[in-house]
Amino acid sequence: MLNRRDTLRGLALTIGVGATGWAERALAAAGPAPALTWSPTALSPDQARLLDVVADLIIPKTDTPGAREAGVPQFIDRALANYYEKDQADKLRAGLTRMDADAQIAHGAAFIALTPQQQVELLAAYDREGVEAKAQTPSQSHFFPALEDLVTVGYFTSELGATVALQYDPVPGAYHGCVPLSDIGRAWATR
Amino acid sequence: MANLSGRARRKNTYDAIVVGSGITGGIAAKELTQKGLKTLVLERGPMVLHQQDYPTAMTAPWETKYPQGQLPPAELAAKYPVQRRTNYTMTEYTQHLFVRDDENPYVEENRFDWIRGYHVGGRSLTWGRQSYRHSPIDFEANAREGIGVDWPIRYEELAPWYDHVERFIGVSGQAEGLPQLPDGHYQPPMEMNCVEKAFKAKSEARFPERRITMGRAAHLTDPTEEQMSLGRTKCQYRNLCIRGCPFGAYYSSNSGGLVAAERTGNLVIRPGSIVTSLIYDEKSGKATGVRILDATTRQEEEFYADVVFLCASAFNSAWIMMNSTSSRFPNGFGNGSDQLGRNVMDHHLGVGASGEAPEFADKYYSGRRPNGIYVPRFRNLGDAATKRNDYLRGFGYQGGASRQGWDRDLGKHDSGSSGFGAERKAALSQAGPWTIGLGGFGEILPYEDNRVTLNRETRDAYGLPTLSINVTIRENEIAMRRDMQTAAAEMLEAAGFKNVKGRDGGYAPGLGIHEMGTARMGRDPKTSVLNAHNQVHECKNVYVTDGAAMTSASCVNPSLTYMALTARAVDHAVQARKRGDL
Repeated sequence: MLNRRDTLRGLALTIGVGATGWAERALAAAGPAPALTWSPTALSPDQARLLDVVADLIIPKTDTPGAREAGVPQFIDRALANYYEKDQADKLRAGLTRMDADAQIAHGAAFIALTPQQQVELLAAYDREGVEAKAQTPSQSHFFPALEDLVTVGYFTSELGATVALQYDPVPGAYHGCVPLSDIGRAWATR
Repeated sequence: MANLSGRARRKNTYDAIVVGSGITGGIAAKELTQKGLKTLVLERGPMVLHQQDYPTAMTAPWETKYPQGQLPPAELAAKYPVQRRTNYTMTEYTQHLFVRDDENPYVEENRFDWIRGYHVGGRSLTWGRQSYRHSPIDFEANAREGIGVDWPIRYEELAPWYDHVERFIGVSGQAEGLPQLPDGHYQPPMEMNCVEKAFKAKSEARFPERRITMGRAAHLTDPTEEQMSLGRTKCQYRNLCIRGCPFGAYYSSNSGGLVAAERTGNLVIRPGSIVTSLIYDEKSGKATGVRILDATTRQEEEFYADVVFLCASAFNSAWIMMNSTSSRFPNGFGNGSDQLGRNVMDHHLGVGASGEAPEFADKYYSGRRPNGIYVPRFRNLGDAATKRNDYLRGFGYQGGASRQGWDRDLGKHDSGSSGFGAERKAALSQAGPWTIGLGGFGEILPYEDNRVTLNRETRDAYGLPTLSINVTIRENEIAMRRDMQTAAAEMLEAAGFKNVKGRDGGYAPGLGIHEMGTARMGRDPKTSVLNAHNQVHECKNVYVTDGAAMTSASCVNPSLTYMALTARAVDHAVQARKRGDL
């Protein structure tokens, strides 16, 4: 995941002159800027751009598509718009805002302008924080584990996630209860 | 509304009326029409046509409006505060098959989870499909133990009707030769997976009396000509049954009984018809028909017939009877015994054990089996070896093994492992560890004060009276639950599974979705509502053949027994009508 420079270069471009340091260097080497390819409803354009990056860090493109390609940011925007209670949605939005603020404090740039290494370090810190928060007050949900879950659900229930990363068979036609795993391969998308 | 007369009355007159179109209404309609009776089926909800009215049957995971098809919490709280309580029935996929609680209120004197669907087919579209016979010991237990009243029939009297129904609906399963779970007519059983086969071998070696068999389920695995002629085909292993099966592979009224009834030319089905009461004729001492409220026009109307079958579900059939008062029946129709609405039973569940299977990491399965394994009752079978001193009756287990899916770490961010990145993605894209679970279904005894009563203060969306429900489990059930948990864990441990955990997740009455007993069958009109043929003791041309009729609950899923009682009662009614005895 640390080799995804092309994507990050492009993202750095989209934030333009606000970027500093690594992002500026990236800018210099970057190709055309990919604009936000979708119109958010529940998120601001900045939050949407950030989510594009974070979702793909949570479920990166590997030998199978990543979260962004699978439309997960749009899925989350939709969930925030029509599924979650306002306080839950606000918590997630506040989390995204915080990520940018933390990036500014730590590195003097917006989250999407950071190096992949810096981004991953921040996510790892949120991940640890989430584990500790849950250990202390199990009823309280930290924004980041909630976001990880949401990206995971969005990805594996997306068409690409279900049919490429996993296997989806709408009409199996038969049940075979004991088959070599190697004959099947990836996990089934549904049970 | 005044009685109709002349032509209008003739227009609304049939040989038989069936109230309700669910698992028993469908069988009643099929049996009555095939025996030549012009039959009117009255269904309070809208039409659901087989195949064309299963809008979500083919919906892919990525086609849902909401994440994983879960309804927004605010909508669940506002419209489905009861229907949501199962945690599995109320989703975007199934929303149209369950009632809106805000429009169908009832009073919970104690918590009671009344899960139901008002539409043609009723809960036959969303049922669990497990299909077991009551055993001889089930029919004898009340008499032997002095509990409730004696069943007025014995197993042998119902056995041919179990045969009859199983052949029609199609049940897949394995004959086992056990006295406590009589065998029926089965299509080939579904297959156990590797872990289940290993469980069976090892647990049975340690506990031979605890037989492990494949679930007996109303799914076609080798359809008969009759079933195929109705347009039904074999199970496609999609496991999306609760959305309605476009293959007609599991039995529902919509794909089975009502189709067969329709083909006779003797069926009229009238959706949107809320039956509010039976019409009783003091002179003849018979019911002449029913009154309905048209759900659309809000007009009252009357329909007439020689014989009425109440198949509206245990609570709603009781409701109709309680709401049918007259000078002959001031306390409810046929309620001289004061047993109407009493003796509510369900199956208590939510207790069992689970474990992890370290073996078979190199094995998987294909297809999604809509069925699991079953452990027939092994307690209190009448011999010393199985006798328990801490409770009466028994329980069965339903369970199964599977490999965990991509969702296995959701909500579990406490392990210290990272919740993001390529490594996690790769891991979640592969089949997870095998897990196995057993969940008990326990018998609840009939208690007179477990009851539903007519509530004239709380009205539903149509201004009709509602029900107050007061049902609790008692010492016998609580003692049984302890054993249900312990014995399940013992079996999993005997099979060598790891991290075995017994668990009682709690049970609220109703969660079994097997409510029954509100108009029990019995030998004596002073202590029961129905006789041995499901006739109301006090009005012989009214038959009640849904769960209301049950005198005891057994521990097995009840729908097959309701259907067998229904077919048997129709046979009785048709012969009695021919003789002029109705």
